Amino acid sequence: MSGVRFRSRSSLAVSLLVPLALVALTVAIGANGTPSLQGTVTTILCNLIIVLGLQVFIGNSGVYSFGQLGFASAGAYVAAVLTLPAALTALQTPGLPDPIATAQLGPLLSTLIAAAACGLLAAAVGLPLMRTSTLAIPISTFAFLVVVYNVLANWDAVTGGSSALVSIPRTTSVESAGLWAAAAVAVALAFKWSARGYRLQATREDEVAARSLGIGVMKERLVAFSLSGVLCGIGGALAVHQSGVLSPTTFYFAATVTTVTMLVLGGARSVFGAVLGTIAVASVNEVLRGIEGGAEILGLVAIGDTPGLAAIGVGLILLATMIAMPNGLTGGREAGELAWLGRLLGRRRPRDRAAKSPWPDVPNAAEMVKAERARDGSLRAEGISVAFGGLQVLRGVDLELPRGEALGLIGPNGAGKTTLVNVLSGFLAPAAGMVRLDGTDVSGRSPNRLARTGLGRTFQAALPFPHLNGLESVAVGAMGVGVGRRDAVAVAADVLARLGMREKAVLPAGSLPPASQRLLGVARALATGPRYLLLDEPAAGLSEAEAEELVAILRGVLEDFGCGILLIEHEMSVVMSLCPRVQVIDDGITLRVGSPAEVQADPAVIEAYLGSSYLEVASA
Amino acid sequence: MLDLRGTRVAYRGVEVVHGVDLRIDPGEVVGMVGPNGAGKSSVLRAISGLVPPSGGQVLFEGRVLNGMAPERIAKLGLALVPEGRHVFKTLTVAENLRLSAWGSGAAAAIERTLARFPILRERAGEHADRLSGGEQQQLAIARALLCRPRLLILDEPSLGLAPKMIDVIYELLAELREEGTTMLLVEQNAARTIDFCDRCLVLGGGRVRAQGPRQELRGDSGLVRAYLGGQAELRRNGGGR
Amino acid sequence: MTELAQNLIDALALGSLYALIALGVTVVYTVMGMMNFAHGEFIMLAAYALYVLAGLPFAAALGGALATGVLIAIAAERVAFRPVRNADLSAQLVTSLAVATILQNVVTGAVNARPQSVATPAVLGESTELGAVSVPNLEFVTLGLTAVVLAGLGWLLYRTRAGLAMRAAAENFEMARLLGVRADRVVALSFAISGALAAAVGVLLVMQTGQVSPTMGLTPVLIGFVAVVIGGFGRMVGAVLGGLLLGIVSSLLGAYLPADLVPFRDAIVFSLPVAILIFRPRGLLGAATGEARV
Repeated sequence: MSGVRFRSRSSLAVSLLVPLALVALTVAIGANGTPSLQGTVTTILCNLIIVLGLQVFIGNSGVYSFGQLGFASAGAYVAAVLTLPAALTALQTPGLPDPIATAQLGPLLSTLIAAAACGLLAAAVGLPLMRTSTLAIPISTFAFLVVVYNVLANWDAVTGGSSALVSIPRTTSVESAGLWAAAAVAVALAFKWSARGYRLQATREDEVAARSLGIGVMKERLVAFSLSGVLCGIGGALAVHQSGVLSPTTFYFAATVTTVTMLVLGGARSVFGAVLGTIAVASVNEVLRGIEGGAEILGLVAIGDTPGLAAIGVGLILLATMIAMPNGLTGGREAGELAWLGRLLGRRRPRDRAAKSPWPDVPNAAEMVKAERARDGSLRAEGISVAFGGLQVLRGVDLELPRGEALGLIGPNGAGKTTLVNVLSGFLAPAAGMVRLDGTDVSGRSPNRLARTGLGRTFQAALPFPHLNGLESVAVGAMGVGVGRRDAVAVAADVLARLGMREKAVLPAGSLPPASQRLLGVARALATGPRYLLLDEPAAGLSEAEAEELVAILRGVLEDFGCGILLIEHEMSVVMSLCPRVQVIDDGITLRVGSPAEVQADPAVIEAYLGSSYLEVASA
Repeated sequence: MLDLRGTRVAYRGVEVVHGVDLRIDPGEVVGMVGPNGAGKSSVLRAISGLVPPSGGQVLFEGRVLNGMAPERIAKLGLALVPEGRHVFKTLTVAENLRLSAWGSGAAAAIERTLARFPILRERAGEHADRLSGGEQQQLAIARALLCRPRLLILDEPSLGLAPKMIDVIYELLAELREEGTTMLLVEQNAARTIDFCDRCLVLGGGRVRAQGPRQELRGDSGLVRAYLGGQAELRRNGGGR
Repeated sequence: MTELAQNLIDALALGSLYALIALGVTVVYTVMGMMNFAHGEFIMLAAYALYVLAGLPFAAALGGALATGVLIAIAAERVAFRPVRNADLSAQLVTSLAVATILQNVVTGAVNARPQSVATPAVLGESTELGAVSVPNLEFVTLGLTAVVLAGLGWLLYRTRAGLAMRAAAENFEMARLLGVRADRVVALSFAISGALAAAVGVLLVMQTGQVSPTMGLTPVLIGFVAVVIGGFGRMVGAVLGGLLLGIVSSLLGAYLPADLVPFRDAIVFSLPVAILIFRPRGLLGAATGEARV
């Protein structure tokens, strides 16, 4: 609607078409090959679907799960029992209940049911697992993999136990696997580029910043975990219909290592990387497996029977990637974002294009977010006390920030300013005291919920989203509070234009200097449409002229958004020119509230900053 | 003794200290003041090897420290008492001290230190997280002294301490100065630092804004401006004279 | 009553074995912040040392196993883990997965993928009667070895200068370096200790099962991880408690589950951490408060 886009149309087209072309090429090679090559290629395509499943969760969330192969295993098992003829089912899995035991479905229907079952399983398993910490998820998901293995291997009557299920109809062809893989590529990219995908990526880039924008980390992870389960289930179902056999070890430790290697080698953040990595690792694997049985190189060196060679190769690739190239072959970028690929395809540099293209008119973000919100109200803190261990950081601080006004919060290092902002924004529970937002008691609400209620904040450390570009970073702010993807882009464009940061829109946030990153943080918070905006040293590192510019921008924000601004700032000129009222805190208590002039003339304030003897010396 | 020549510090390619020169001679006590974000801590991190300087040189007794591991720099005789003290809270007071005293004569050195800090002897068996802020600061300084520093660097030793405790710490620092310890003192409390040190430099925005002996800096309007902004300076000049 | 006593001793023996595994994982985690998948392969390689040195006197073979565990751990640190020391947790975890795969398959290639049997001293297969309770001698060895290892580790950590440096580095690596603690040495030492603990576990596993196989390290390392998660990351005491708890639960499940559910014991045991983490996201001994990294 606005015409502003995260990336140019051609960049998006390349990002979608190049991996699809790679899949098509793989299919073409396989379809015209020997039956054995056909089998190999089909297996690679099935693996690709599983790796794309890993990418959806691991790549976007940045959290490793080692349990996704459990879903492949479950999907394969479901698809197998649904397609086995009744007689064979009775022989191999006599304990299965009737409708399942006698069912003999076609490949498509069984795959779809397997997908649905795995999605449900992933949602059910993910519900508790995603509650655990970022640190514990890799381990608890691995534990899940072991649980799946244990159940499949021991529930003999229903799963056939540790012996393999055999004579499963071999219905997966190179072409059908290719179609599924192409669809999986499209799904993975669509998810990555959706509002959900962006919210999840924001949690990967910085969990704290993401929460401050209204994003529920657990929920976003759960959605991706479930989608990942669906893709892995499809991959498993197709694979079992390729090989015709299934045992509990088919998708276990070794397969987990192989698929994770494929993902990491390509670059986990990138869908294109998943495709590239899968093909690369599978090729090396095939060659090594050929040698495993014994081979001669150039008729000179004879290599004997060496089991495990392929796995050693995979391990070495993984190790070398982690040490030398942790971002993988693609550096985590999609095909349309790779400069070398662009040159290969004869495209102009996307950056040049973006800079040249005029920025179309965008709707007024302020209008969009301000709608339906009463102008009156205030953010009040009453008697806030906080202690870290034995150290009393805040002792009964009050604060009142009316809508439409700017309040400066100053004080020497360690006075407790940031701690107070952390309390107001829900990142820290105070030992005593209460926070009211427009009259409602919001004490104890989570930061993400508070952000959706209208509380935006920035951080002293800029906490950028390094791998998202400027426009995406800001749009995530709007998406975090539930704005749809298209509108979020429009809001972001407007906010960036307001802050004079248009030219930063296409640059990765991680490549910007800290002052710009901090400003991007302001933009990000503003895109959530806050009723109250808490800014923690936004002008740090700005030149005098830039600081003046920032003040002008913030004045505009006060005017247009009608929000209240709490400004922590060491640069006094900024505080004084923006804030009619200044609150000074020192050592956890309020020293003074008043106009800038009053505050600066207050001996207690000067003493807090410069020390008592300074006054005597200076006035002597 | 310590010689910074155009030292620059950058994090992820972004420069925060833009070339600082600083020279400290043996026996000198030099102060470094400046508001938050002025680059004080970054300079200290560069000196102690926690970040490699992105430009310029850091020399200590003629040796180039650039690229040297922190533990090697520490062994050269450069001890840092960091902001926030960072005593090892899971270790006892005695263990905190033992960690820093190495080589022959360690026991005797610890004995001398305990004589200087009687409160630490009293609480030697307790875990360091049981100490008050002031006691932790004393432990942090004691620990640094056990490293037999040729240069002692203190980062905000008075931060978060009660006024009485700050007096205690400064008495201790004065004692050390009498003994001829070379020190670099970094503080926010400008007045006390300027009074205490032979010479000070004022940092702002990653650059040296002013420097000189205490007589020159006293009542310097540049200092007020660095902390409280331009209007405050006018007010002070207008009201005070 | 007798049966209960019997089961409790069994449970304690299994629990202490698990505690040793969890400790091995934790020693590295506290110092380097890395969960090491390859710990299972350290265990496996130490066990293979017993297999390779089967011709030697048993004591010499034990020494060989210990040396193998320690040397492999130190070598892995030097070659693979040092380059990723400052990488994020996921990257380190994946790196250790790579090391695990390589070590596992090197053994597969060099020896065989199939389990190999290893002769153990006959006395370990026998039991000692304690009143009405018959305790397998191996359980005495397990309990005794655990006690010795815990005492040794305690001595090392709390009575030596190197241990002091390790504890300091575990709390605040940067500060320890500022006081002259040599980072490379401390990390190497933590791996050496981890390797020694792995060797002890490997030896006990061989004595228990009488065989070695390239994949024998997988279940133990997972048990170690789960115990660490249960106990709360990075706490030695937590690791020991987590290991004990896991072993005791697993052993008692084996004793008291209905016969047809016993095969699913692992499934139940590995679901345990999830159940615990739901109520205590930071483990039993982890700090209960939420994190506020701002």
